[in-house]
Amino acid sequence: MNADVIVIGAGIVGACCAHYCAQAGLSVIVVDRGSVAGGTTGAGEGNILVSDKEPGPELDLALLSRELWAQMAGELGDSFELDAKGGLVVATRAATLEHLHRFAAEQAEAGVIAEPVTAKGLRDHEPHIARDLLGGVFYPQDMQVQPMLAAARLLQHARSTGRVTVLPETEVLEIERDGSGAVTGVRTPTERISAPHVVNAAGTWGGVVAGLARVDLPILPRRGFILVTEPLPPMIRHKVYAADYVANVASDNAGLETSAVIEGTHSGTVLIGSSRERVGFDKTLDWEVIRQEAQQAVAIFPFLADVQLMRTYGGFRPYCPDHLPVIGPDSRAPGFLHACGHEGAGIGLAAATGLLIAQAIAGTNLAMDIAPFAPNRFEGAHVA
Amino acid sequence: MSRETSFTFDGAPMAAVEGQTIAAALIENGVMSWRTTRFGDRPRGLFCGIGVCFDCLITVNGEPNVRACLSAVEPGDDVRTQAGDGHV
Amino acid sequence: MAMSDIAAPTVDVVILGAGAAGVAAAVVAARSGCRVTVIDNGPTPGGQYYRGAPPIDSEPSSGPRDLSYAELRAEFDRLTGSGVIDYRSRRTAYAISRHDDDFVIRLRGDDRHRGEIADFRARAVIVATGAFDRHLPFPGWELPGVMSGGGAQLLVKGSGVIPGQRAVVAGTGPFLLAVSGTLLEHGAHVPAIVEANNPSRFITRASAIRGGLSKSGEFLGYVSRLARHRVPYLHRHRVIEAIGVDRVEAVRIARVDADWRVVEGTDRVIECDALAIGYGFVAQTDLAGQLGAQMVLGADGGLVVDVDPNLSTSVPGLFAAGETTGVGGVEAARVEGLLAGASVADHLGRPPALTRRGLDVVRRDIATWQGFAEALHATFPVRDGWRDQVRDDTMMCRCEEVRAGQVREAIDDLGARDTRAVKLFTRAGMGWCQGRICSSAVDSLCGFGTTQSLGDAAVRPLVVPVPLGALANGQMEG
Ligand SMILES: Cc1cc2nc3c(=O)[nH]c(=O)nc-3n(C[C@H](O)[C@H](O)[C@H](O)COP(=O)(O)OP(=O)(O)OC[C@H]3O[C@@H](n4cnc5c(N)ncnc54)[C@H](O)[C@@H]3O)c2cc1C
Ligand SMILES: Cc1cc2nc3c(=O)[nH]c(=O)nc-3n(C[C@H](O)[C@H](O)[C@H](O)COP(=O)(O)OP(=O)(O)OC[C@H]3O[C@@H](n4cnc5c(N)ncnc54)[C@H](O)[C@@H]3O)c2cc1C
Ligand code: FES
Repeated sequence: MNADVIVIGAGIVGACCAHYCAQAGLSVIVVDRGSVAGGTTGAGEGNILVSDKEPGPELDLALLSRELWAQMAGELGDSFELDAKGGLVVATRAATLEHLHRFAAEQAEAGVIAEPVTAKGLRDHEPHIARDLLGGVFYPQDMQVQPMLAAARLLQHARSTGRVTVLPETEVLEIERDGSGAVTGVRTPTERISAPHVVNAAGTWGGVVAGLARVDLPILPRRGFILVTEPLPPMIRHKVYAADYVANVASDNAGLETSAVIEGTHSGTVLIGSSRERVGFDKTLDWEVIRQEAQQAVAIFPFLADVQLMRTYGGFRPYCPDHLPVIGPDSRAPGFLHACGHEGAGIGLAAATGLLIAQAIAGTNLAMDIAPFAPNRFEGAHVA
Repeated sequence: MSRETSFTFDGAPMAAVEGQTIAAALIENGVMSWRTTRFGDRPRGLFCGIGVCFDCLITVNGEPNVRACLSAVEPGDDVRTQAGDGHV
Repeated sequence: MAMSDIAAPTVDVVILGAGAAGVAAAVVAARSGCRVTVIDNGPTPGGQYYRGAPPIDSEPSSGPRDLSYAELRAEFDRLTGSGVIDYRSRRTAYAISRHDDDFVIRLRGDDRHRGEIADFRARAVIVATGAFDRHLPFPGWELPGVMSGGGAQLLVKGSGVIPGQRAVVAGTGPFLLAVSGTLLEHGAHVPAIVEANNPSRFITRASAIRGGLSKSGEFLGYVSRLARHRVPYLHRHRVIEAIGVDRVEAVRIARVDADWRVVEGTDRVIECDALAIGYGFVAQTDLAGQLGAQMVLGADGGLVVDVDPNLSTSVPGLFAAGETTGVGGVEAARVEGLLAGASVADHLGRPPALTRRGLDVVRRDIATWQGFAEALHATFPVRDGWRDQVRDDTMMCRCEEVRAGQVREAIDDLGARDTRAVKLFTRAGMGWCQGRICSSAVDSLCGFGTTQSLGDAAVRPLVVPVPLGALANGQMEG
C-alpha cells in the first residue's frame, strides 16, 4: 500500500489532519491500533475553548481553530453536536475576580470576546447558579462538540472523497527511514505502507510513536476524571467553570488539582470535570477526586446536591513540559511531522492543527507561525 | 398476617399489602406501565424485577427516579407516573 | 485523604450479598472467629432464590447433603441475633477500592434513603452478588408486560402478584420451568413455554453426574406438572416479536433450527398479557471489576470472576462465591459460600470452622455442581441465529433507546472495533443500567465476545447512582 501521507492515530487530531490533507488533494492512509476515537478523544470532554487561554501562540491557535470548527460543522451538517453555547467563568473570591478581570482584559486585546458579568448578571446567564458568587466573565466564542462523533464523522466524510483510507486495528510497529534519514513509510504487523510523509497524531502515545522513528519527544500523561450525572432537563446553559481552573491548566504541580468545569450535554447528562494529576497511566479511580469535584460542582450549582452521579470516566491528556502542542515537520527526520501533545485542549485545537499539517505537507502558505510548536524545541532532543 | 395498606397513584387511592413493592402493588391494580421514556415517549414498567435495569423508575413523594421493583409501599405514599428524566 | 476514609470502622470480612452464597460464607467465617459484616440490598437475607419468607425445610434441597440452606439460614439468624454477624439489609455497596492493605467498601441506603452513605474498611472481602437474567433483544421487547423470567418469578414469590392472566414463558434453560410452575401455582394461565434449545439431552447429561440425578428428577417433576396443566413445552422455538401498542398483547413465535435460525413459514401468534423471558443469567461482576480482579469467560460464554480452587480472586484478600464465579444455580452458590467462608478465615490466619473432612465434602459438591452447570450450559447455550431476528429498528439499549441499526452503523461506518467505541458512538450502555441489560447482547451483535470486550463493557465505577451532595459531604451515617 502507499499514499502521499500516513497519519498514525485516528483520534480527533488524526481525523482533522486527514480531513485537511484530503481537501488539499493528498491521498491519505489513517492507521490506528484500536477503534476510531478509541484513545483520549473518547475519554475527555468536547470543549472548544478560547476562555482558558492566555495571550500567546496557543490562544492564536485556538482562535483559528474555532473558526475552522464552525466551518467544518457547516460542511458536514449537524453531525457532531457542535453547540456554540459560550463559556461563563465565575469567581468565588474577591482576589480571583480581580485576577479574572485582568486576564480577560488581556485576552480581549488578543482578539477574544470577553464580557465582564456582575454577581447579579450571572443569574441572567445561568438561572440556577449559586447566589454567593462574586461575578465573572462571559465568553461567547466558547463552543462544544461531541468529540468521538466529530472524529468519526470527519473520517467518514474524508473517506467519501475517495482519497482517504482508514485502517482501524492496525498498529504501527516501526517508522522506516532511508539512508538520508528521511521517512519512507511504516510497518504494521501485516504489511508495509509507504509514503513520503508520516504524521504522528498518536496523542498521549506521541512520544512512543516518535521513538518508532528514533526521535525523542517528551510527551507525558496527565490524568483526568469526569463525573456524569443522571439525565436532567436543560438546567445549565453554558459551560461554567471556576476561575481557579485557569491557574490549574497552566500549573506545574504534579499533585491533584481539581476545579469544577460544569456543562450539560445533548443527552441530558451533566458533565463535571476535571481533575489534573500526573500519576502516569494509573487508571484506578480516586474517590478523593470524586469528592472534590462533587463539592466544587455543588458550590457553583447548589441544585446538583440532589442530582445523582451515575458514572465516571477518565483519560490521560498528552502534555509537553511547556504545555504547548507539537505541530509541524521534524527537522531531525525529513518527511516526519508531529501533531500531538495538545494536553487538555486537543479537541479545540485539532482543526487548526490539521490545517497547518496539511499546509506544511502541501507546501502552501501556513495559516499561522508554527515556530512555537516546533518538535525539536525541547532541550536534549536528539536523533537517537 | 398480611396487612392491607393504601397509597395513591397519580392521585387515585390504591390498595396494597404491607411490604409489597410499589411495582407489585401497581401490577396487582392492573397498572403495567408508570413511566415514559426520554426520547421516544414510550411507556415502561417492570422489567428485571431486581433493581438492575432501572426501567421501573417512578416518582414517590416528589422524589423522582425511585426503583419501583425494590421499594416497598409505605402507607400514604404519593406515587406518580414520571415522564422523561423525571425532573420537573 | 478523604475524611470518610478515616472514620470508617475496620472489620475482618465484609461479605457483599446475602444470597445462598453470602449466607453460607457468613456462617462459616463467623464460626471461624472472624468479625463479619454482611451487606445486602434486599429487605431480608436469601438473595434471588430465597427472596420472601424464611425457608422451611421443605424446599427442594437436592444432591449431596451437607449443610442445607435452611440450616444455614437458621444459624445466620442466630449469629445475627447475638451480634456475631453484623447484617445490614437495604444497603448497596456502590463501590469498593483499596486503601493501604484494606478494602474500603462504600455503602448507600435504598432508593428512599439514597443520600445516606457510609464507608467501611475490611481486611478481606467476599463478593457474592449473584446474577441477573440475560436478554437477547427482539422486536417489541421494550413493551410493558414483557419482563425477565427472574423478575416474574420474584414478583410472584416475593409479592404474591402474577404479572398477567395469560403469561407466555420463553427463552432457554430449566429456569423457564420453574417460572412457569410458580405462575401456574398462583393461578396464571401459561399458554406456552417457548424453549429455544432442545432440552431432552439435559436429562442424560445431568443424570451422568454424581448427584445430578436428583436435579434431572426435579426437572422431570416440572415437566410432568406442566403436562398436568396441559402447558405446551415447545422445543426449538423462539419468541421473535412482542406485539402490542402500549403493552404486550401477543407474541409471535417461530420454529428455529439448531443455530436458532427461523424456519420459514412456521411463525404463529399467541395472545397473552405478559411475557416472561430470559436466556440464562449474567454474573454481577461490578465490584470485583472495580478492584481489577481478573475475569474469565464462564461455561455459558458470559463474563465471570476468575477464582482459584479456594475461591480466591487475583486480588489478594478478595474472594468470590456463587453466581459471580459462574452461573450454576442455588446449590452451587451455597457450597461455594461454605468454601469461601473457610478460605477467608484461613487467609486471615484463623482456623476454619469446617473440618478437613467437611472441606473435602464441600469441594466434592462444588465439583458436582460445576459438572451440573456444564451440562446445563451444554444443553441450553445461546446460538448466533438470534441476531437474524434483530431488525435495524429493534431496540438494543432500552435506557438510551439505541436501535440495532445505530450499533451496526458504528461498526460499518464509524470505525468502532470494540465495545467501548460502540458505546461512545451510539450511547448504548450509557444509561441508567450502565449496560447491564444490553452490553452482552451488543457485544454479541458486533461479534466480539472476548474477555476483553465484555470486561470493558462491564466497567462500572458506581454500582448504583449516588447523589452528588452526599458524595461532597462525605460520610453521613455509620
Ligand atoms: C478528562 C479529560 C478531559 C478533556 N477535556 C477536553 C476538552 O474539554 N476540550 C479539549 O479540547 N480537550 C480535552 N481533553 C484533551 C483531549 O481529549 C485530547 O487532547 C485529545 O483527545 C487528543 O487527541 P489526539 O487525536 O491527539 O489523541 P487520541 O485521541 O489519543 O488519538 C491517538 C490515537 O493514536 C493511536 N495510536 C497510538 N499509538 C499507535 C500506534 N503505534 N499505531 C497506531 N495507532 C496508535 C491510539 O490508539 C489513539 O487512538 C480532555 C482530556 C481528558 C483526559
Ligand atoms: C430475579 C432472579 C430470580 C431467580 N429465581 C430463581 C428461582 O426461582 N429458582 C432458581 O433455581 N434460581 C433462581 N434464580 C437463579 C439464582 O440467582 C441462583 O440460583 C441463586 O440465587 C444464586 O445465589 P447467589 O448467592 O450466588 O446470588 P443471589 O441469590 O443473587 O444473591 C446475591 C445478593 O446480593 C445482593 N447484591 C447484589 N449486588 C449488591 C450490592 N452491590 N450491594 C449489596 N447487595 C448486593 C443481591 O440483591 C442479592 O440479595 C434467580 C435469579 C434471578 C436473577
Ligand atoms: S424492574 Fe429493573 S430496576 Fe426495577
